[in-house]
Order: sequence, then C-alpha cells, then structure tokens
Amino acid sequence: MTDLDERPRTAARTAATPARPARRRRPWRPGLTALLIAAPAILVYAYFSWGPILSSLVMSVQRVVLTGQSDFVGWDNFAYVLSDPGLPQATANTVLYTVLAIVFGFPVPLALAVFISEMRSRAWYFSALAYLPVMVPPVVAILLWKFFYAPDADGLFNTVLGWVGIGPLPWLNSPASAMPSIVLETTWAGAGTAVIIYIAALTSIPGELYEAAELDGAGIWRRVWHVALPQMRGIIGTMLLLQIIGTMQVFTEPFLFTGGGPQGATKTLLMTIYDYAFTRVDYGAATALSVLLALVLGLFSLAYFRLTRSWSRS
Amino acid sequence: MTKRVRSVVAVIALGGLSAAALAGCSSPSAGTSDGKVSIQIGDRPSADRPEDRAYFDKRVEAFEQANPDITLEPVETGYDASTFQALAAGGSLPTVMSVPLTEPAGLIKRGQAADLTDALKNEGLLDSLNPTVLKLAENSEGRAYAIPTNAYSFGLVYNRELFTKAGLDPDSPPTTWDQVRAAAKKIHDATGAAGFSVLTTANTGGWQFSGMTYSFGGTVENEDGSKATFDDKPSTQALQLLSDMRWKDGTMPENTLYDIPTQGQDFAAGKIGMIIGASDSYYNIVQNLKLPAESFGIGGMPQLKGAEGTLGGGTVQIVDPKASAEQQAAAVKWVKFFYLQRFLDENTAVEDAKASNEAGSVTGLPGLPVVNSDQYSAYFDWIKQYINVPSANFTPYLGASASIPVVAEPVNNAQEVYGALDTVVQSVLTDQNADIPSLLSTAQTDVQSRLSR
Repeated sequence: MTDLDERPRTAARTAATPARPARRRRPWRPGLTALLIAAPAILVYAYFSWGPILSSLVMSVQRVVLTGQSDFVGWDNFAYVLSDPGLPQATANTVLYTVLAIVFGFPVPLALAVFISEMRSRAWYFSALAYLPVMVPPVVAILLWKFFYAPDADGLFNTVLGWVGIGPLPWLNSPASAMPSIVLETTWAGAGTAVIIYIAALTSIPGELYEAAELDGAGIWRRVWHVALPQMRGIIGTMLLLQIIGTMQVFTEPFLFTGGGPQGATKTLLMTIYDYAFTRVDYGAATALSVLLALVLGLFSLAYFRLTRSWSRS
Repeated sequence: MTKRVRSVVAVIALGGLSAAALAGCSSPSAGTSDGKVSIQIGDRPSADRPEDRAYFDKRVEAFEQANPDITLEPVETGYDASTFQALAAGGSLPTVMSVPLTEPAGLIKRGQAADLTDALKNEGLLDSLNPTVLKLAENSEGRAYAIPTNAYSFGLVYNRELFTKAGLDPDSPPTTWDQVRAAAKKIHDATGAAGFSVLTTANTGGWQFSGMTYSFGGTVENEDGSKATFDDKPSTQALQLLSDMRWKDGTMPENTLYDIPTQGQDFAAGKIGMIIGASDSYYNIVQNLKLPAESFGIGGMPQLKGAEGTLGGGTVQIVDPKASAEQQAAAVKWVKFFYLQRFLDENTAVEDAKASNEAGSVTGLPGLPVVNSDQYSAYFDWIKQYINVPSANFTPYLGASASIPVVAEPVNNAQEVYGALDTVVQSVLTDQNADIPSLLSTAQTDVQSRLSR
C-alpha cells in the first residue's frame, strides 16, 4: 500500500536526523532573482498540487456540473453525505480496519525487528526476507492472495488448514471474516518497511546500554523491555500515528479483494468517496466527504506534530 | 557568466520548460478547412492487441480512400465510467466513440450527444437498424441520439459437457427457473460442480439480478426512472430462488464474491454448470479462458412461466454535439463503414469474415442483431463458409430470443441501482437467515433517495 510504504520512510529520515539547535542568522530577505527562479516551480506546484485542493474545497459546496455551470448549494453536500445510510457502516468499517491493522500490524514488525537484530549472523538475510513482500506490487499481491483465500475446501489456505482439521473457512466470503482477512494481507505486505525502520532504530541505540544491562544480569526480555523499547519511544509513537493516518485511507485492498462486500462489510470511507465520484458522478458529495475525512486526519496530523515536537524537546 | 546573468538564463529556461509543458496539455481540435473534414474517432485498439489494431488501422485507411474529403484521427479513448464525465468536461472526447446502452438517456438529458436522426436518414441507416434496439437510443420524441452497433440480451450460458455427464440433454437447456433448480441439483449430484452461479460484485451482481427480476415479470425502475420499483413480488421470488439454491440445495458455489473474470475462470474450469450471460460471453469463456468451443452452450433466459422478459443492452456510438454538421455527417459515415457495412453489403461481409477467420478471430458469432432481422439472416448466409463458432450450440438462445421480450436496463443511474442490489444479492448468498423483504425495502429506500437527488 502506497500510503503505508511511503510515510514510514519519511519518518525514518526525520527520526534519524537529530534536531539541530537553531543558529542565529540575519533575517532572510528573498531577492527578486530568487523569487524569479522559484516562480516556475511555485506556479507548477500551485497549479498541480494546491489547485486541486482548492477546487475540491469549492466543489464541496457546489452542485458540480462538469459540462456547464455549477451552482452554489451551501452545506447541502455535507448534509447529504452525513445522512447517507451507508455512512455509519463505512465509518465503522474504516475504524475496524484501522484498529485491526494496528492490533495486528503494529506489534508484528516490532517483534520481527527485535528478533532480527538479536541474530548474531545472517541478520541481513532475515531483513531481506522480511522486506520481500514490500517489493511485490500491491495489485499482484492482492490477486495472489485472492487465490489463497479461495473459500472452497481446495483453496490454498483451506487445504493447509484441512491438514490440521480446521475449516474450510469462508475468508473473504463472510461479513465477519472479510475484514480480518484483508488486514492479514496488508500486515504481510506492509510489515517489511516498518521492520527496516525499527532495525535502524535498534542499531542506533548505544551498545553500552546493552552491555551495562547485561552486566547487571538482564536477560533478552529485560534488555528489550528496559533498554530497547524506551530508546525507541519516539519512533514507535511516530509510526503509530502514521499508521493510523495511512490505514484510515485504505482503498486498494478492499476495492480489489471484495469490492466492498460481502454485504458492505469491507466498504471503507475512501471507497464511498470513490463511489460518489466515479459511479454516481456526484463530485459535490465526493469532495464534501473528502473534506470531512481530511479534517479528521488533520486532527491526527496535528497530534503527530505536537507529539514529535515535545519528543524532540525532551 | 556572472551570477546574475546565470540566474536570468535559468529563469528563462525553466519558464520555457513549464510553458512547453502546459502547451502540451492543450488538446488538438478537429476542424474543417478547404472543404475537407477532419474528425477524431475513438476506440482504436491499444498496442497490446496488435492484430485488432492493425485491422482497425487498415479500415481507417480504406475509409479515407473511399472518402477523400474526410480525414480520420484515431485515438484510443474508449468508454470508462470513471473518466467519461471528466473527459467530456475537458472537451477531450473524440468526435465519435462507443458508450454502453445504459448511457444515452443521461447523455441526451445533459446535452452530451448529437441528434443523429437526419444523418442516419441520409445514410439510409434508419430503416436498416433493429427498431427494438434503436428505440433504446431515442428520446421521447423518437429522435435518435446514438447508433447501436452491438447488442446483447441475457440468456443461460451452460457447460454442455457437464450437462451430458449429469444426464441432461445439452440441446434443450432449462427454460424456466424451476427447471434450472432441478438441473443444478443433477449437475451437482453427478459431477460435484456447482450447478448455478450469479455475479455479485462491481455492480455486476445488480446488473444480473435486474435481469432475473425481469424474468420473474418485475421491474427495477419505472419508465422515466423517477421511482425504484423492485421491492415487490418478482424480486422477492428471484432472491428466494437464489437463497434456496444456495442454502437448501447447496448447488451454488462457496465463493460469493464473483466478478466477470473470476466467475469466467471457474466456469471455464468446469466448476460451474450454468451462469447468466449473453452470446458474447463466448469471447471471454472460449477465446480467452479456453473452454472447448463444443462445451459452450447457451439458451434463452430462464423465465418464471412463459415469456416474462430478459435484460438487454449493448454498445452505441455517440457523436459530439459540438462538432459541425459536416463533422457529424462524417462521423455517421465512419460508423456505418466500420460497424454496420458488413451487415448491409455482401462484398464487405465476405471480405471481413474471410480476414477475421484467417486471423483466427471469432467469426460469425450470433447475437442480438443491431440491424433488422432480414438483413441479419442475409449476413449469415453470405459468410457461411467462414463461420468458426459451433453455430448449432446457439440455436436454443436464438429461438428463445425471438419470443422473450427484451427489457432495457434502468434508465436513471443504472450503476447506482446495481451497486445497491449487489449488496442485496451478497446478503442472500452469505446469510442463511437473510430477511429478504426487509433487504429489498431497505435497498429500495436507499436507491430512491439517490434517484431523487
């Protein structure tokens, strides 16, 4: 998933660069030449990046007619999407996905990273292995897993479970198990990036701390609990927030695995937005819901900035 | 170079680049000059289908030779629900392109399709087209805004080999839903394969279910599309049938999330006995997925008792209303030349069929005719020796098509209706105790609120 893959990488960069003490400089005055040089870049950026954001804000208060005059309708679109009978379920599904993705997807890479960094030899081999799924293009991975999840007794997973007398399980074909099945795949697909980041964080912990702990007779669990985890507090918090923001925007997996089914059990907020825009051709409603989602995610981002700032101070 | 000069040069260079980039975005416009007409035509096959592309390009060349006053500019733009409106808004639609038959009603309402009645008359096409199909492309005053070039109606696609194994007669497929249920049981008992399956995702579930509702004598929307009308007995009966086959008989597959490709794979692999489909399912199932041609069977859409109805649709060509009269006339000429000429002219028919047969493409596939029935049977006579599909396997379908009325897809927001019905069908197939009446009434309320927006 692009969101999950991209964000932690940025996080790794920021976390690896220690906050530099601000140096006093003379105030910066942009010269005319500097502005002129930057102008094309700013214009292109404004047109392609800020432009769409602004126009979606405008569209969210309009009845959008792409081929003619769009009328101003005030809060109508917002009222419409908030009263959509599908909204509570889509919200619940998105929150369920986020919670499951964090419950499963958060500790797994952390445990893997600790495990790999404790390996005396061949650690590179295991980290490469852990990173491998990230390199499989998401669409290919999803189509493969769709085969694995075949609900008949001769599906791949069901065959394996059959050997130990379990199943066959319906996987994607039951409203109860569809979302956990999707989370299982995304955890597999996304864990690699997080593992690499955690390993990097673990290697940056000063070796003396471990040595001191070892001298005091601490075993592996106590070393992890009392040395590694506290040292990684900052990065763990950052990853958690980024994962919340990323998972709330899940789209590709439910779109390709189940199309939102069965019975709407995997229809997420982003799929609802997609539906508004591209099957109902109702860009007003689509942008209104996008704005609402962006507001909620903005709150998380705000929390993220506040926390990282307080961490870098401490 | 001094620092200042260098920065000025850099500014000019960067500015020039971005100006070039922006200029590259503006689209070329087709226009007229010195009596010559130039039009953009959509649907050129993409480079990953080299044979089809070569054939298309050859026809373009032949057309330009026959009509020296018309210049064609082929583009790959084809219909895609998610981009069509944006393309239309940006003025990037070609002069003529294909859209599904569900679209003309909305396009006419929004003024996005040209009135082609006069151009069709001039080309002598108005009387050659199949009136029942053409009607779907007309407005309430009988003016035609689109040209049908391909049509389908739902039937029952079945695996003849599984039929034989189950002791069923592959030449007389079930014609009522009761017979379908019984046949599904026999297939399941004798072969272990699922007897019958329906699509459920990506709006195809609602699409097929609408067809089932029609075959039980029901409707999905009223005539002008202002009211959802599926919360009634026919839809209830159709859902009850699915529920019974899934939970009482166990003759439907475990997989309840099927779209066309995944269902096609299981059908071609012999895991499913019967599905709903049209004769053009042949391309997917036989040509792509390699079910042996002799195993492909198709009958009419099963009915409640007699001839209640079946869902029909297809592809039409629309013309840009902003194009000049000459361009519109040229566009109709192209449509006639490329899509319809083979039904109207023996030489073209034979030449075309011969080329198609030699290239190994499916040739002479019977379907719902877009031209009137005389013309259609004449066409099959002309190309007799080049037909490479087992025509006899289509006999039950063609026989039934003559008597079962073809009902159009919902006219208002068909895709939304289908999406809501997807969920209903999924519920019945995944929940043994699904409350059918309440599912239908909830879906109807939901759809109604969207229809009136």
